[in-house]
Amino acid sequence: MTEDELLQRLSATLRTEIGPAIEVEYPKTQAFMAAVVTQKLGRQVGLARVHETAEAADFNALVTDLQELTKSSPKLKKLDDAIAAFDGQRSKVELCQVIDALYGERAELGEAQFARLLARIRVCLRSSIDRQMEYAA
Amino acid sequence: MSDLAVAPISSDEIRAYLATQLPDATDLALHDVAQIAVGWSHETWLFDLHYREGGESHVLGLCLRRDPGNALLRHLSDLGEQFRVLKCLEKTNLPTPKAYWYESDPAILGAPFLVMEKVAGSCPSPWGREGRAFYQGAAERGVLPREFTEALATLHTIDWRAVELDFLGVPASGRGFAEREIAKWRELIATTAHPPEPILTDLIGWLEANIPPTDRVTLVHGAYRTGNLLIDSDRVSAVLDWELQVLGDPMYDVAYVLSDLNREGTHLLSNLVERDAFMRDYEAATGFTIDEDACRYYNALYAMRSVAFWMSASDLYASGRSNDLRLARTAWSVPVVLDRAARDLGY
Repeated sequence: MTEDELLQRLSATLRTEIGPAIEVEYPKTQAFMAAVVTQKLGRQVGLARVHETAEAADFNALVTDLQELTKSSPKLKKLDDAIAAFDGQRSKVELCQVIDALYGERAELGEAQFARLLARIRVCLRSSIDRQMEYAA
Repeated sequence: MSDLAVAPISSDEIRAYLATQLPDATDLALHDVAQIAVGWSHETWLFDLHYREGGESHVLGLCLRRDPGNALLRHLSDLGEQFRVLKCLEKTNLPTPKAYWYESDPAILGAPFLVMEKVAGSCPSPWGREGRAFYQGAAERGVLPREFTEALATLHTIDWRAVELDFLGVPASGRGFAEREIAKWRELIATTAHPPEPILTDLIGWLEANIPPTDRVTLVHGAYRTGNLLIDSDRVSAVLDWELQVLGDPMYDVAYVLSDLNREGTHLLSNLVERDAFMRDYEAATGFTIDEDACRYYNALYAMRSVAFWMSASDLYASGRSNDLRLARTAWSVPVVLDRAARDLGY
């Protein structure tokens, strides 16, 4: 039995056997809530490897596209540094810094370039949230 | 595990405290004591105090709210402020519970608490089947929807300076109100150990870039919906949940009413009111024109606020400050809100 299968099994036991057997309201609610938590956690654990691979691929493509899109634009310290940091450490922390820098240097970038870069980032963000919704919804 | 909820309190402890507040009363006894399990913030007890004074028997319905020490939004809304707000609102025609006593000294009942009037009525939850059926019936009867709108209009037309609510902080005109809200929720997010969320960063960037300027300042409830209103015979007997109130743009409350956050499986606002009727009656009662663009903006601000709530709530469980599994579950509410926020931003 895999970890996620075990968590799903725990969830089913909490929902169908433990919860209904409890008569006191608060612990009964807690048992059903534990069933919800373990079910969501199980789905998240089960999807984790596939999601990590997909996110890494998305981040790699995003770095490449951001570098390409900013190649001919005026050099902007904060944004360039943030993209370089995202290139070095392809994680959500660095992506947040890129988005922060984008809004912070919007005026210098100009609306068209700002919109182009943001639209590209948002493609990546949409894919990411779609994946999270597979276990969170 | 150092900040788990404070010890339970007994009826005897409550009665002993009330005896100190009613020194001429004798034969004090608490009847129908019930700890109600609603809300994630303060512990709440309802009871009737029976006593004798001046040769006569009296019954006083009371509600005691105590800070459990690990409440959601604890550092944003304390009971002392709630008490002060309720005292101010006693001078208005908005239906609210009368506030009797507030004690900040934890030596009395283990934590700060306030005692207020137990107002007649019930508070059906709009999230449950029974509550939804109640509001559907009330919508068909027609009185409560008008009451809902009128109470909000009354709230927004209170002369807040005259009743000394300016202690809540008057926002600067123009961008001041929204800037203050963004800063407040950003600060709450920063207190959590939740990993950074790029969609949230995008949302905050968008919010800061698109603030609707406003010069109108009213009392704003912050969570005006069914479930936070006490209802007695289809009348609003009390507006409750004074935890998020601010002075600011009334469209902030209107946006909350118009939002689909507070209705499930119905087109009725807050499970109760037809949109057109709400807009017509609200505008007529307040003289304000509903600014739907501003409402769309505030809807996005509510997404940020919700994310801050859920990050804070799940952090309370994850850090061991609460054992309530409802809080643990909210970790998965964060992506749900971010998904909706992204759609609102067009992606």
